[in-house]
Amino acid sequence: MNIQKLRDEAKRALNRKEVKYLIGYQKGSYGFRVSPAFIESKEEVDRLIFSPLCALSLANYLMLEEKLPQSEDKKKAKATKIALFARGCDSRALNQIIAEKGIPRDELYIIGIPCKGVIDLKKIEARFPGVVDFAEVVEKNGNYIVTIKEQIFEVPKEELVADTCKVCQYPTPLIYNKLIGDNVEGYPANYDEIHSLEEKTLEEKWDFWQKEFDSCIRCYACKNSCPLCYCEGCVLDKLTPQWVRRSVDSSENLLFHITRTFHLAGRCISCGECERVCPMDIPLMKLNRKMEKEVKELFNYEAGKDPVSQTLLTTFNLEDPEDFIL
Amino acid sequence: MGFFVLQKDKLNDFLASLEEYEVWAPVQNGTTTLFEVIKDFQNLSLDLKHQVLISKSAVFPQTESLFTFDRNAHPQATNLEKKKETIIFGIRPCDAQSFQLLDPVFEGDIPDPYYLNRRNNAILIGIACSEPFLNCFCTSVGGNPFSKEPLDLLFTELDSVFYIEVITEKGKKIIDKTSTLCAPASSDERKQKEQMAHTSESKIKRKIDLNHIPEKLTGIFEHPIWKKLAMKCIGCGICTYTCPTCYCFDIQDETRARKGRRVRVWDSCMFTEYTLHASGHNPRPTRGERLRNRIYHKFKFNIDNFGVVGCVGCGRCITLCPVNVDLIENLSAIKEVE
Repeated sequence: MNIQKLRDEAKRALNRKEVKYLIGYQKGSYGFRVSPAFIESKEEVDRLIFSPLCALSLANYLMLEEKLPQSEDKKKAKATKIALFARGCDSRALNQIIAEKGIPRDELYIIGIPCKGVIDLKKIEARFPGVVDFAEVVEKNGNYIVTIKEQIFEVPKEELVADTCKVCQYPTPLIYNKLIGDNVEGYPANYDEIHSLEEKTLEEKWDFWQKEFDSCIRCYACKNSCPLCYCEGCVLDKLTPQWVRRSVDSSENLLFHITRTFHLAGRCISCGECERVCPMDIPLMKLNRKMEKEVKELFNYEAGKDPVSQTLLTTFNLEDPEDFIL
Repeated sequence: MGFFVLQKDKLNDFLASLEEYEVWAPVQNGTTTLFEVIKDFQNLSLDLKHQVLISKSAVFPQTESLFTFDRNAHPQATNLEKKKETIIFGIRPCDAQSFQLLDPVFEGDIPDPYYLNRRNNAILIGIACSEPFLNCFCTSVGGNPFSKEPLDLLFTELDSVFYIEVITEKGKKIIDKTSTLCAPASSDERKQKEQMAHTSESKIKRKIDLNHIPEKLTGIFEHPIWKKLAMKCIGCGICTYTCPTCYCFDIQDETRARKGRRVRVWDSCMFTEYTLHASGHNPRPTRGERLRNRIYHKFKFNIDNFGVVGCVGCGRCITLCPVNVDLIENLSAIKEVE
């Protein structure tokens, strides 16, 4: 990834008078951390970075309720667009949001970045504990070259890459205004992990999830980090009627997670953000990918493939299978 | 009040001999660690690196029934019956200090019997932090990786033994009960511990000078910096739920037909719903006001109300934030505000 090219493109985007601001990545406050960057003027583009440490999804920021206060110049120019970096998964999120009419296509300026996979922060911080100084990582010949205080380490990619990226089918953005870098080949659909879960008995599955959900602290990081969880009146926040109680126990936690999973059926684009942010390491992607697999098998549908197709749950086909309906 | 040593491989025996108590301890749960009543000592995990541990739940559980009600009967208070004494084992000195910040809140104008029953019933056994974590900054908020208050016993992990300092009478009672396992410490061991305490403090990498922050905060309530700092916040509850000094709760009635219970559950000032009025008005409508509140509460309101900073420097909010909202970075930015 040529950072200069990326910054130049960001500069060009910010030069457009209709662009309010740009959402990208910048160095975080310490160690391996990367922070989202909100950039309004082209003088700030040198802050922008892209590396295998850029694990967080920026698409989510489009749907958070308040936007950056605009400078007078931009206001006068009636800036309406948000520019943002999008990897393959983010681009699918954008497609899905646009298809759902969550945000109009012409309010976005998308700088697509073909992505070779990102690092699981928990893995790298476990591998190199206690790193406060800024660390850098580049990918080279299937290895990550990690630089910490001028010391260089080479780690096989396999050891640090996020699990979600190991089964990513669409690493190259599917929607963009500008694409930076060469296409990256995706992996073929792979649901081995889901198959092995499906083979378990009902009792084993129940025990497995019961244990996982019991450790949930209901911080809602999974919900708040999800680019597709953007309903204004989320059913989980409702007090009258209160569909899901605030009590944190097995039963309410189960209800919360089942609700979340169902609401993402045919909508989840497998970015893995929910699992990445979970402080209790609950394997949420197992639930999401199970749904993804069901949707694919039953309706031959994949979320976020393009911005114009009808979304799964807004269509009705006479040929749709209905043998699961009682 | 005395210094003892316990062979490391006798730790399980030590805890097992305290069966008359309810023992809370860090427990391995897959890749994370939970803090709960320990049933199987094999699961005990003293590798405190897993920062999610929330020891405050031993005195202030996330969900707690206050009373039950029934249309045909008087309400029945719950969770107030005298329970057996509790040992909270394996907490870090910073987490122990957080109890001192929680106490005045729950002792307040109307003492809270639910919290105080548990708190007064608890014996605190800490483990000194010989290896501070990535984002520890206890020394910046008046703490220390080997601080004793308000612990009853402080363990320090030496090569083959735990060095035990008896701090209170309550702690002495525990040593008396386990006298067959604990032996008096030698002056060598004592020196070793002192040395460790000294080097540990110097290993803390993150620091913030809090001087003038409360005064600074007085004048910048409406400053645009809050919106800027909150841009990346996703409004989840990780920072508050894993904070040992956060104590906000909501009270709700859970009913089914003619019966129900009133429960108290943790709440988070980072949630939209937290300040939502019945009218629909929300005085903290955006993430900016909410993040501002979290910082004001810990670094101004707590000082105004109780005379101490409302943060023990455990670093959880920094380590666990999924989008790199960094308290130290934010406080530094606040100091720079004109």
